[in-house]
Amino acid sequence: MKKGDNFISKVKEKITVHNIERQTEDQVTITVDRNDLPEAVRMLYYDMGGWLSSMIPNDERQLNGNYALYYVLSMEGGKMTIEDELPQEQKCWITVKTYIPANDPTFPSVTCKVPAAVWYEREAYDMFGLTAVGLPDPRRLVVSDDWPKDLFPLKKDAMDYRHRPDPVDHRDEPDYKFLEPNGSGVVDVPLGPLHITSDEPGHFRLYCDGDTIIDADFRLFYQHRGMEKLAENRMNYDQMGYLAERVCGICGYAHAIGCIEAAEKAVGIEVPLRAQAMRVICLEIERLHSHLLNIGLACEVTGNVNAFMHIFRIREFTMELAQLVTGGRKTYGNVVMGGLRRDMSGTEIKKSLELLVTIEKQLIEVWDAVMDDKAQINRWKGVGILDRQVARDFSPVGPNMRGSGFGRDSRHDHPYDFFNQLEFNIAVEHGCDVYSRESVRYQELLESISIIRQCFEMMPGGQTIIKPQTMIKPGAYAIGNDEAPRGENIHWIMHGNAQKVYRWRCRAATYNNWPSLRYQFRGNTIADAALIVCSLDPCYSCTERVTIVDINSKKSKVLTHKDLKRYSQTLKNHPLKNM
Amino acid sequence: MNEIAIIIETVIKAVVVLAVVAGMAAFATFIERKVLAYMQRRLGPMNVGPHGILQLAADGIKLFTKEDIIPQNAVKPIFKIAPVIAPATAFTAMAAIPFFPEFTVFGYTVTPIISDINVGVLFIMGVASVGMYAPLLAGMSSTNKWALLGAARTVIALLSFEVVSGLALLAPLMLIGSLSLIDINDFQNGGFSSWLVWQQPLAFLLFAIAGFAETNRTPFDLIEYEAEIVSGYATDYSGMRWGLFFIGEYANMITVAFLVSIIFLGGYNPFWIIPGAIMILIKISAFIFLFLWVRAAWPHVRPDQMMWLCWKVLMPLALVNILITGIVLI
Repeated sequence: MKKGDNFISKVKEKITVHNIERQTEDQVTITVDRNDLPEAVRMLYYDMGGWLSSMIPNDERQLNGNYALYYVLSMEGGKMTIEDELPQEQKCWITVKTYIPANDPTFPSVTCKVPAAVWYEREAYDMFGLTAVGLPDPRRLVVSDDWPKDLFPLKKDAMDYRHRPDPVDHRDEPDYKFLEPNGSGVVDVPLGPLHITSDEPGHFRLYCDGDTIIDADFRLFYQHRGMEKLAENRMNYDQMGYLAERVCGICGYAHAIGCIEAAEKAVGIEVPLRAQAMRVICLEIERLHSHLLNIGLACEVTGNVNAFMHIFRIREFTMELAQLVTGGRKTYGNVVMGGLRRDMSGTEIKKSLELLVTIEKQLIEVWDAVMDDKAQINRWKGVGILDRQVARDFSPVGPNMRGSGFGRDSRHDHPYDFFNQLEFNIAVEHGCDVYSRESVRYQELLESISIIRQCFEMMPGGQTIIKPQTMIKPGAYAIGNDEAPRGENIHWIMHGNAQKVYRWRCRAATYNNWPSLRYQFRGNTIADAALIVCSLDPCYSCTERVTIVDINSKKSKVLTHKDLKRYSQTLKNHPLKNM
Repeated sequence: MNEIAIIIETVIKAVVVLAVVAGMAAFATFIERKVLAYMQRRLGPMNVGPHGILQLAADGIKLFTKEDIIPQNAVKPIFKIAPVIAPATAFTAMAAIPFFPEFTVFGYTVTPIISDINVGVLFIMGVASVGMYAPLLAGMSSTNKWALLGAARTVIALLSFEVVSGLALLAPLMLIGSLSLIDINDFQNGGFSSWLVWQQPLAFLLFAIAGFAETNRTPFDLIEYEAEIVSGYATDYSGMRWGLFFIGEYANMITVAFLVSIIFLGGYNPFWIIPGAIMILIKISAFIFLFLWVRAAWPHVRPDQMMWLCWKVLMPLALVNILITGIVLI
């Protein structure tokens, strides 16, 4: 009996399963009739302990004349109680697939039965024009407010650049419809996109009664970059990893790994052990600097700028660590199909181990100092409660989830790369509030240090890259998962012909955390709004230095921090003048 | 003849106080940035002049030359006049503060107080509370939600903490039996041990905390804390109108520092070989440094936490303090 068969046989008792396909050992796809879709997903989700990890609409009209929907469920147990978890050997991915005929692009909404699907189904309409019948909130989600009604960008025959629609004048742009509570005395307070502490492309409307938030709605996706479309049209597999990295400015490595591993898994490429270990190291370094950033910001939002600055002191060491592993201060530009571009030398490993000691010591010191401050803890405790039932319904991920007492961790539930051989604990807190989330992050920092140390100590020898000799198989698809600092990233890749991707679906961790944010706002004061958003972990990007290479003259020059600073102040002697 | 001399003297004093305190307020902003920076392992302003000292001038030029934006929907007369209230009340309050001990210039005795009124403390508290109208009117007239929230918070914060500061001051005043700050100062001329802080430590603590709240300093600067309500009442202000609020705030800080020094820390009485004038400068500098230190050390409190602190902790303590002082006096 293979992984997942027991669940499928249970589904079969009530629902006709047309087809069962196995992608990898722990990834199975079942095809059901579109009218059975909601019930199949509900059974797997609530009856058998699944979580909705992603949903991929796909335009397969070239392949079989239909659209297809893939609901990816992570089978790991409901986790509402400690016993309510599947045994490790039963955990798997089950994808529920259904075909939608091209001449009738509708399907029954799963959201009515599994609320977690709400954003996915809204996006399915935006991108493919697939209407979820019965969807309680059918507003558009991803495309801009002035987007033409009949243009669905991810359809294979859409976005012909010869027929590009004219842009709408900004005065004629329609307003986005926010869900507003009725009643007198409700004040709506806008937060963002240029609010001073959340200068991210996201706009929140807080509906307040006095100082208390009674409801909230938000509009995101101001900067949809069309990466999935870009990948289908222009990128080959060598470039995919680098594109996926650019999804995020801070946990980009996790995206690159997710994307490349999905592609590798679909055709069954085994990566050398040394590369696996180093991939794990990079992911954990990313967790280190990302969590440090977030804990720092959570302090800063509550006015504790001192703690923020001292946490950033530690973060600098993690950047150095990244430099030892990948050669750059961030972890970027290292992942390719079949392994990694850069190997580490013995001295680098030794230096890294020394750095880890420093990081661990200083981290404990600073965290103790922060925890010593009652005022700080009081600002965090009881704020932004993520109710356990809401969490069960909306499938959030990452520290957001673990702060509410669910031990969901992709490294543990669906171990990838080297994680089978490592020992680590999942940090779980039961307070459901900002304090629990930050506390989970702190514990994970210590775990990450221990994981990196284990990897260095057990570092296998050999190559870091193999040539992916296997031919790319058109139509093969698989899921790539990893635990990014913000939670589980899911990438889904279907191979196409001519060394191109047929469909790439990237689901970043925060995508699953947004829908439940509304519930986290309720009942808190405006003073905590920015803190609650922060505790989900928004992200920033920064570059310290630039290397410029002139291709014509083959000269390269490293611009240091000093050069850039000098130039920004004097505007004289452009650093690239003599190139 | 004598009357004209008094008028001239008062005008000169007023101009000097205005100029010096405004200058000190500006300098305090620089010191604040430097001190905070060093506490947060940064350098602070470094690029304009040696150690960034000319940053002050740069900021001043910027404030004076920046465009003065008035929002379209604002209630214009009130929006324009609100910023004037802040420094006006802050400087008016200083009229009753004796800054230094008496000294003699060219045989003419100068009392460094603009007007020695016999209810000095009451006058200062009263005028300072009028200052509350500045953020209130600013917030309400600028038709901005963050500003409105800031204004609402101002009223709660200042009103609540005025109760605490008033009650806290009552106990030492019972001991002294006078509301004139000169009398209060002279009451403590018996050297270090006669400082009121030793007799009234609780009142000192309460008044200091209330002082932080009334000058909108961290951890109680919730009326304009940027992470929560952008810039509070000042969100829509720019240029010199905003600058006026700023000067008012720092002038208030200096007033509070003087009040604390005079009422609790022995005022301008000479200490050991140090003359009184130097002594009070040291005291107010130390107290202003405390303002900055606290800002670096503490996170913000939420409005509800602040109210809890005010009404459930500080006010009962102040009452108990008065009661005990009364019993001891009887």
